[in-house]
Amino acid sequence: MPSGSNTDGLVARLQEVSDRCACLLDSSTAVRWEVFAKTSVTRQTEVLQGRLKRSVQIAESGVGVRSWDGSRAGFAAASALEPSSARDAVDAARAGARPGADPMPPARVMGTVPVKPGPAMPPRGWAQHIAGELGLALAGLSGSVLRLERAVVQEGRYRWTLSTGDGWSADHERMVASLLLEILVGDRPGIWREWVHISDPGSFDAEAIASRLGNRILLTRNRVTTDSGLHDLILHPEVTAQLLAAVSPLFLATDDARDPLPHLLDSNGFLAAFPLTLVDERSDPTAPVVSPCDGEGLPAKRTLLLDEGAPRHRVASWADARRFDEIPRGGAVRLSYRDRPSTGLTNLRVVTRDGMPPGELLTASRRALYVLRPLAPVVCDFERDTYSLIASGVWLRRQQVRGWHPVVELSGSLGTLLRRIAAVGEDLCWFQTAHGFVGAPSLLIRRQPVVG
Amino acid sequence: MHRPATDFPAFDTDWLDGLAEGCRGLRGSHPRFEDLYLERRLEIRVAPDASIDTVRLEGGAARWRFPSRWAMHAGSGISSAAVAELVSHYADRLKAPPRRRTRDGELNPPPGWIESAISLAGRGVDVRFFKRWAVVIRRDGWREVSTPALIRVEQAAPASGALLAVSGHPSLAEWVRSLLDPPPAKTWNPPSGTACPVIFTDGSSGVLLHELVGHMVEGDLVASGRSPLAGLGGANLSEAEIDLVDDPRRADLPGAFDTDDEGVRSGPITLLRSGRLCGVLCDRETAETCGVPAGRGRRTDWRLPPIPRLSNLVVPPGTGSPQDLEADLKRGLVVTRLAGATVDPVSSRAVLRVERGHEIRNGRRRRPLGPFELTGGVIEILAGIDPTVGDDPTPDWRLGWCLKDGLPLPTGSEAPTMLVHRLEVL
Repeated sequence: MPSGSNTDGLVARLQEVSDRCACLLDSSTAVRWEVFAKTSVTRQTEVLQGRLKRSVQIAESGVGVRSWDGSRAGFAAASALEPSSARDAVDAARAGARPGADPMPPARVMGTVPVKPGPAMPPRGWAQHIAGELGLALAGLSGSVLRLERAVVQEGRYRWTLSTGDGWSADHERMVASLLLEILVGDRPGIWREWVHISDPGSFDAEAIASRLGNRILLTRNRVTTDSGLHDLILHPEVTAQLLAAVSPLFLATDDARDPLPHLLDSNGFLAAFPLTLVDERSDPTAPVVSPCDGEGLPAKRTLLLDEGAPRHRVASWADARRFDEIPRGGAVRLSYRDRPSTGLTNLRVVTRDGMPPGELLTASRRALYVLRPLAPVVCDFERDTYSLIASGVWLRRQQVRGWHPVVELSGSLGTLLRRIAAVGEDLCWFQTAHGFVGAPSLLIRRQPVVG
Repeated sequence: MHRPATDFPAFDTDWLDGLAEGCRGLRGSHPRFEDLYLERRLEIRVAPDASIDTVRLEGGAARWRFPSRWAMHAGSGISSAAVAELVSHYADRLKAPPRRRTRDGELNPPPGWIESAISLAGRGVDVRFFKRWAVVIRRDGWREVSTPALIRVEQAAPASGALLAVSGHPSLAEWVRSLLDPPPAKTWNPPSGTACPVIFTDGSSGVLLHELVGHMVEGDLVASGRSPLAGLGGANLSEAEIDLVDDPRRADLPGAFDTDDEGVRSGPITLLRSGRLCGVLCDRETAETCGVPAGRGRRTDWRLPPIPRLSNLVVPPGTGSPQDLEADLKRGLVVTRLAGATVDPVSSRAVLRVERGHEIRNGRRRRPLGPFELTGGVIEILAGIDPTVGDDPTPDWRLGWCLKDGLPLPTGSEAPTMLVHRLEVL
């Protein structure tokens, strides 16, 4: 926990609340139960035009309870780590129980895998320091065309415990950090926003981040040029991430009658082209969410979702795996103590083992639209095999930038789009999306309809 | 500030009096005590399989003002010890009186709600109930923040519709029927690049103005010059002599409150008067910069500081008939449901996501529209609103949770039918 907080006190209270819940549940009619208690301390530092504007420290904690009494299952949560929180959560879980099967995994399948210890919390003042460094680096790189208007640095540490009535328990503690930047571009009105995941504050390189962001933003300073027709596309990692987030529901277990995946496969059973391999992985120490087990205690695994374009496995919570006849692979996410575990992806990532350097990718086409940033969520209709991607981009011709296309729509067959992926880059970055975290590189896609 | 005249079951009012007394005497070294915000929240979700999730949340935040910056400490729990801990970061320890547990029976959904939610959820939707009770304590006393209980109904995938409404709203059943109404089997999408007049009806014009004006006059965007409407105060934005009011006192709309989350009594703020830009929505901090009254400092929850946010956008009815507006259109589109809109902060272009509507030819509705997008510049769209505004103010139930910087808040709108002369199909 950050300096200034009473770590030992919080950890002790976390355990006390878990024990209190266990005591209440053991003395009730619950046959099986599970208690998830979590505490986190987050520092948020806002730097405006190089000066500290706002500092926020948030200490959040709470407990979530699932119980099953042989025929009825319930879930409830309450905030804070006080005796009353335990009672509120247990009482509400029991009161709201509805007829249903036992939703919790049996003790025999539960376990943890070792995960690399996370980095330490940065010292106080680090946030303001890196905001200053980034501001200087951006201005230096662009000849003062780019100015860092606002930076919001978020750094925090969390700890959780998960215990069950079968006597199984696990706990985990980790640091997380991220950065939100608002950058002014020359004298143009409006701002450019960037979110950056920081896996290790100790190795934060302001120059490298500034160069990565600045190169993209400066491309939009070209004159406006629009075009339509069939063109090669190069998707920036942020656009790739939004596209993959939109297709990610295909990798969640569902019943066969409602499964849209078969409609999207080609005659050889491929969803995408050979270069695309997707995994969901919790134990990758560079990913935003690292955990020794899934949201209900199954050991963390790397799940191969798409293997060189061919669908392989789907993720599912324990209850959904039983319902949809899937092999349980630990696919339950628990967003916070407030949420019951549900089927979901944790860190969806493109495998970039054979990825091309971004420079090569950008020169791999004589004429292409380099799609720089999404302007709206990507919409996919799996039933109709369609997608719609609204974005801004720049036109590249013979390795030269020909102009900025402020609003462009890419739409057509989703299956065709995915099967025309010709190469993936090696420039993987993490992004926060509506469907969780996605680690995505640049993509080269051949001949897609572009509407200007 | 005074305690409310009505019974306030979520908090022990004697305890609040004691806290307010303690805050009055707070002495810090450098920063000045700004406010202490306390919140209790009840969220209930009933899923299609009739499972019920009940979440009870409590927390608070103390804010401090330095000469050039702000600081906030927030924490879970509102026990006397937790509140004293929050305040102690910059001041002498607060002598918080003991808190009596209140009648928690009052903090439940209305009788019969769970049963009706289970029945509705059986139609394949998620049904959620939200209620929050909050107070703001400042040096001069405490004030209750009164907001309505809300209902959200969400369709399960692959359908993606949702509605948000005030619990018990008389039109709720009708809106749920509309939400669950399946889309037309055969739809038509206008060709990309087509520029045509578009009529926004059935409340969809409220969503349009929410994005094009409401967000663009939020104090933080105006003060920093990031809004395309910054610096246009007093300018005539629209040919239509429309009035646009942000009205948190409309208790029938989801964005209602009587006091904002900084303890400022909130009344209506006129944003457009006869098409002329005349208002800005500010919290206490941006109000000082913009030189206007505060009253729109809203918090997503206790964990986050208040920022300027809109509440309920209301456009008074005009005198035109919506039927005449359609009848007078030779060729164009009518939008009956907007799924949302975004304004790109880099290019100031708006993208409107149309969910339902019709093609209009020779004044009559023809083919139903499938989902598609419309685009245009913010200023150009506002300038292109026709002076004839419909006489049919209609609340929009699709607006729901409004996101700003990823932070959701309930908002509402009510607006009559409007015609925009030119929008481009993406």
